[in-house]
Amino acid sequence: MTTDQKEFVLETDRLTKRYGEVTAVDSLSLRVPRGGVFGFLGPNGSGKTTTMGMLLGLVHPTSGSAEIFGDPARHAATLRLVGAMVETPTFYPYLSGRANLRYFQGIGRRGSPADIDRLLTLVDLGKRADSKFATYSLGMKQRLGIACALLGDPELVFLDEPTNGLDPAGVVEVRELIRELGTGGRTVVLSSHMLAETELVCDNVAVLSRGRLIAQGTIKELLREHDTLRLRSTDDAGATSVLSALPWVEAVAQQDGSLVITAPQERSWEIARALADRQIYVSELVPLHRTLEEFFMEITETDPTTGRVRT
Amino acid sequence: MIAHIANLAIWEWFKLRRRWMMWILLVFALLFAQLAVWGSFFSYQNLRDTGGELTVPATLQQQQGRVPRTVRCNDLLSGDPARQPTDLDAQVTAGLAAQCRAQAVTLPARLARAYGNFTLPGSIPNALGTVQTLGLILMAILTASAIGIDYGAGTLRSVLTQGTGRWPYLTAKLLTLAMLTALGLLVAVASIALSSTIAGSLAGAAPDAAGTAASWSDAGVAIWKAWVSILPYIALTAFVTVLARSSAAGMAIGLGYYFAEQLIVALLTNFFSWFQNVADYLLVRNISGWTGGAGGFPGTVLPDQTHAILVLAVYTLVLGGIAFWLFERRDVQGATGGG
Repeated sequence: MTTDQKEFVLETDRLTKRYGEVTAVDSLSLRVPRGGVFGFLGPNGSGKTTTMGMLLGLVHPTSGSAEIFGDPARHAATLRLVGAMVETPTFYPYLSGRANLRYFQGIGRRGSPADIDRLLTLVDLGKRADSKFATYSLGMKQRLGIACALLGDPELVFLDEPTNGLDPAGVVEVRELIRELGTGGRTVVLSSHMLAETELVCDNVAVLSRGRLIAQGTIKELLREHDTLRLRSTDDAGATSVLSALPWVEAVAQQDGSLVITAPQERSWEIARALADRQIYVSELVPLHRTLEEFFMEITETDPTTGRVRT
Repeated sequence: MIAHIANLAIWEWFKLRRRWMMWILLVFALLFAQLAVWGSFFSYQNLRDTGGELTVPATLQQQQGRVPRTVRCNDLLSGDPARQPTDLDAQVTAGLAAQCRAQAVTLPARLARAYGNFTLPGSIPNALGTVQTLGLILMAILTASAIGIDYGAGTLRSVLTQGTGRWPYLTAKLLTLAMLTALGLLVAVASIALSSTIAGSLAGAAPDAAGTAASWSDAGVAIWKAWVSILPYIALTAFVTVLARSSAAGMAIGLGYYFAEQLIVALLTNFFSWFQNVADYLLVRNISGWTGGAGGFPGTVLPDQTHAILVLAVYTLVLGGIAFWLFERRDVQGATGGG
């Protein structure tokens, strides 16, 4: 890891890609902090892969700019410091897994041949390393793709849906691997639709919808932005009127015989005191924990039953 | 940058040498080279043993309806009644003998020429004439396959994310293919040399009439010309493969164009005399003009060598240039690296 220790490893400024009338990525200004795992989320067609393509020199941006380690992202010299697995891993079908890694190591001048055995063991492909890539299952292809992305110990790694096709044990292994990769100053940009997985490994996330960045921050911050509490009291109607008057309460709604309040969870004691002052007594006041998935569905306007963005 | 391209070329070779296709194509090239040498050898043997053969049409044979047959000049001129054809009129036999006597004057020169075609160094330009034509087709297949696999298997995406750069990658590919062409020709020449030595020792001493055989410099020029003539064809196939993002399209054009151009030229020059001027700027005609090949159909006049090499250079630069421009400019997306 030889690059300057800048605060952000990746920055885009109004990055845009248009295909005729269709805007795939719309003025995307993104900053990925150094170190840790950065989740890059969005429904299908939100522009995640196109953005990755622009960052990795595969897609020409219509306008805007992107920098990796402070240098233009498209430069070949910059890309040699980056590891990437974009979409389904693609390798030469007539070469073995090991030969494919040797080839990609050779063209990118990444590390030494001794690294290949270590990486094959790391992704649990040691036994099938000499089989032709054409004979690999989807899970094995994914593992080889991850190994290829790690050639040369890059400081920034892009992984696009790395758990696709893996069995549950494989998913856990890869999750642990990603978590481990995100330590020691390395940055992993993880694009995934497996939001539960993402929540477990990511420190920061950016959410794209219809080509636009609609949220960015730590998972804690994003979920806390819309904290909710469930309240049961002696007088729900009175409680609604009292709480609606508080400036820091965003919303109060009746739901399943209780009130759901959108307000910072650390101010719950103030809610209890405000109601007690009006002789309304609280029988239950509990924080409602939303998952990243629920947050994602809400802000991307995704229908939870179909998984599609509402139009 | 040169070191980077050289490194990419080395790794291109790493991929290519692991493909059966390349070795199968080389075997075909060697087989054709051997066919040219041994074909010439047996042709010489036949000429020496028979003194030349004449074909007798069925109409001149006593038993009508038979297929045309050949008679040997050595038999006709031997004066031995037992060796004269019994199924021909005496008049016909006399006519044939007269033809044989006329041909006998040139027989030593023909024998010397035939001997030179399968012995060194004359066997090299002779056999390369066959190998070069086949080489165009074989290199078109290899070029389309080597470039097209990155679209077909989608590996272009994986390659470019390694920071290879687009034009250095395509340059390395084309450079490797050009070097493989040279290597293939040299291997073919080595096999021609080996079989020529064997054939020469089987044939015995050279015929008396010397002075018609090719020199070693002719052999060197033939190798150079064969190599240069294949380069524009590689450029054509690379252009089509990049344009269509498909090895199948590249192969189809590589295989089909060679024959299609000759057919079109033959047809259109028959109907329109002005088409001869257009034909002088077509690819395959200029390849034939450059190598001094047969030029496809008889009766056509090939462009001279200076004209041919200039036209071939323009084809190589323009087709290669457009291929580079497309390769550099296009987005790489989706499973096949299309856009």
